[in-house]
Amino acid sequence: MTANIETLNLTRTYETYKKPEGLLKSVQGLWARKIEKKIALHPTTLRIDSGQIVGLVGSNGAGKTTLLKVLSGLIHPSAGTAEVLGYKPTSRDPEFLRRISILLGQKNQLWWDLPPADSYDLLARIYEIELPTARERVRELSQLLQCTEQLHIQLRRLSLGERMKMEIIGALLHQPDVLFLDEPTIGLDIIAQTTIRNFLMKYVKERRPTVILTSHYMDDISLLADRLLLMSQGRIVYDGTVNEFAGRSESRQTLSLKILQPPTRDVQILDHFVVAAGSLAIKEELPASAIGDVLQALMAMSAVQEIKIEEVEFEDVIRSFMEKDARLRAPGGAAAARV
Amino acid sequence: MKVLLKYAGLFQSFFKASLMSELEYRFNIGARIVTDIIWYAAQLSVFEVLFKHTSSLNGWSLSETRVFMGILFVTDALYMLLFSENLDRLGAKVRKGDLDLLLVKPINSQWMLSFQKVSVAYAGNLVIAWAWLLWALFQIPSFDWFQLAWLVVSVPISIVIIYSIRFMTSATALFFTRADAVNYIWYQVYRLGTRPHGFYPIVLRFAVLTLIPIAFLASVPAQIVLGKDGPLILIWGLFVAIGLLKLSTLVWQRGLRAYSSASS
Amino acid sequence: MLGCARLAVLQQLEYRFNLVADTIIQPVIVGLVEITLWLTFFASTGQSELVGFGREFYLAYAIWAAFIARLSASWMYEMQMIEDIETGTVNSILVRPISFFEYYLGQLLGYKALITVISLIAPLVICVALDLPLMVERIPLALALVFYFIVFGHIISLMIASLGFFFSRVHHLTVAKNITLWMLTGEFFPLDLAPEPLRSLLVALPFSSAAFRPVGYLTGRLPIESIYDGFISVTVGILVLAPLATLMWNAGRRRYSGTGA
Repeated sequence: MTANIETLNLTRTYETYKKPEGLLKSVQGLWARKIEKKIALHPTTLRIDSGQIVGLVGSNGAGKTTLLKVLSGLIHPSAGTAEVLGYKPTSRDPEFLRRISILLGQKNQLWWDLPPADSYDLLARIYEIELPTARERVRELSQLLQCTEQLHIQLRRLSLGERMKMEIIGALLHQPDVLFLDEPTIGLDIIAQTTIRNFLMKYVKERRPTVILTSHYMDDISLLADRLLLMSQGRIVYDGTVNEFAGRSESRQTLSLKILQPPTRDVQILDHFVVAAGSLAIKEELPASAIGDVLQALMAMSAVQEIKIEEVEFEDVIRSFMEKDARLRAPGGAAAARV
Repeated sequence: MKVLLKYAGLFQSFFKASLMSELEYRFNIGARIVTDIIWYAAQLSVFEVLFKHTSSLNGWSLSETRVFMGILFVTDALYMLLFSENLDRLGAKVRKGDLDLLLVKPINSQWMLSFQKVSVAYAGNLVIAWAWLLWALFQIPSFDWFQLAWLVVSVPISIVIIYSIRFMTSATALFFTRADAVNYIWYQVYRLGTRPHGFYPIVLRFAVLTLIPIAFLASVPAQIVLGKDGPLILIWGLFVAIGLLKLSTLVWQRGLRAYSSASS
Repeated sequence: MLGCARLAVLQQLEYRFNLVADTIIQPVIVGLVEITLWLTFFASTGQSELVGFGREFYLAYAIWAAFIARLSASWMYEMQMIEDIETGTVNSILVRPISFFEYYLGQLLGYKALITVISLIAPLVICVALDLPLMVERIPLALALVFYFIVFGHIISLMIASLGFFFSRVHHLTVAKNITLWMLTGEFFPLDLAPEPLRSLLVALPFSSAAFRPVGYLTGRLPIESIYDGFISVTVGILVLAPLATLMWNAGRRRYSGTGA
């Protein structure tokens, strides 16, 4: 497989100024300002092969959008290099731009006062697509997205979900080889989310573009992506297949139960699992293989009630991963992080 | 040639789209025309009042000043029609991040930003402006109507010069995050162009022909049409226009570099 | 109200470049351009005075009018009020224990107080440097009239903003209104230069208190009675427009809640 996206120590820092509180300090701010350097993206080396669907996950401010913007040529890296489809994104070569597309979930590229169909004609001119070809593509895409009826209604009269479908058509009209999707389902209702998700699934299977997708909804990622990148504070902290990640979630389960006679002193059950003196209820995420031993140990200690064993949700796994990660990074947190 | 055709086709599409979306807001069209009529009145009021107290100002009579105003209104309406909306909103586009969606298009970004929206309503103002200009010219019995042909050369030069200055002031939004103030300064520069440059003291007169060549907005064309000045100055104007246009693209390129290294 | 005023001050300090450009650079340029016009006028006509006042009076008038008119005009907050109504942000203000009118009046007055302090140094310096007529002791009363006018102007802002409940894009009205005010306030030329009967009408309207009266007073062109008349005329203006504004606001809000938008 050929690499479609390659970065080497790609870094991005930027400067902000700290807004002081209060009147006096604001006046001081007129001449003296504290400039702070912030790192949006730590040196990142990445290789994404042609046709790969990469899910990019992380909390707000983790650096996801920054990465997408650098890769699409919108912002310059502070250090390191990036290559997308063999081009340097920052050169913004028209040939390069014709082959990529970026969808920013909360921004409209279509004209607000025009029906989407008219906006598509404009986009067709911009991307130099023959009008009949473009219209045929719009027809196909709108059928898949179930929004053919809304094509001739002004954008501002459409619902959020319908608007997003229209934006997606706009982003795919020129059949990009590389597609950056930044939160394509944000703020949408379940039905619209599902339609868009199913559409994207079908689309990437047929056309095999390289995709980087960010989303707050883990369903988007687990259904669409075959590779998962977890970002936290400007770093990629996990890079692997979704299955592998999901594999971890299979092997972990949540055990909850009630203890009838609470222990009078702390009882060590596993390496990281201690039942504190006086505990009445227990809820703990454990490796699936350990559940049997733990149950046995607990039952030997006391009678138990309301035993529940649950699969850990994919989303929870990511969350606990992120929490652990944050604790590791917190000052003096390494010791506290022996989870 | 192919590129030229592509951009011509694009402009046609933009024009059509602008017209369609503008027709949505009839109130808007009316409001703009009325606002500009008030603006015309405000510009005229100063001189109508001043000429109540004198018959001539630095060699300009009231009727000649009215012709100057007519040329000003015509050029202004043309500029507003083509560029006002695009360039006035440039700063907001940068702040809201809408610029991003434009920058990933395989099109010259400066061109697209400048021509995306045509404010069709100003076609109405153009008609009113021409009516005033013709009326003002009829008030000068000795006027040689062939002189009017000079506008064919001078108006495009004026438009290019104003466009370039305005584009550069707007593009400062790429360097400073909140640069509304630059807009105010632009209005003031523009205001310098709303009076015959012969009214200014010598230093300022020189400045509006060279440093901030806003005299080309209406003053220079009016002088030529009225026979107060020979057409040779248009050669200088052409030179200035080309230079400024070139400069505006340089500023834009620099701005994009600054922009792309400042945001996250 | 005071809280809102403080907020406005803090917000403005944030954007130092804007503040300086908006309140000093801009009026200085306007004033200087107007000054050149008067210099040309007196130089080319050979007159030593116009309606009884010499060149210096006009130069002083031009520079002060630029600042005072900038002070009395309301662009920013009026636009914001309209936007609040058009976007529905107004709801977040309506749920607070303060009226929409007061919320913005507080911010407006705070902002205006700030720019008064910052910007009036400029015309003072220019007047002293060019040795133009100026009566410093008259500044407080002149400013009092200007601030009284700002309250009146804010009522007009509320009326225009109320229209936002009914129509879209009313901000055009703000532009049209403010351009109209250029002529009515005397920012461009002293109103007493206008031919009768226009002259009497322009002077009698409350708008003359936004520039002509205060500037004429502090440059010595007008007597103190003119300021008293200004207070009366603005008061009449408030008495006429306040009920109308209330009516429009209430009608707008009823319509707004009616559609449930």
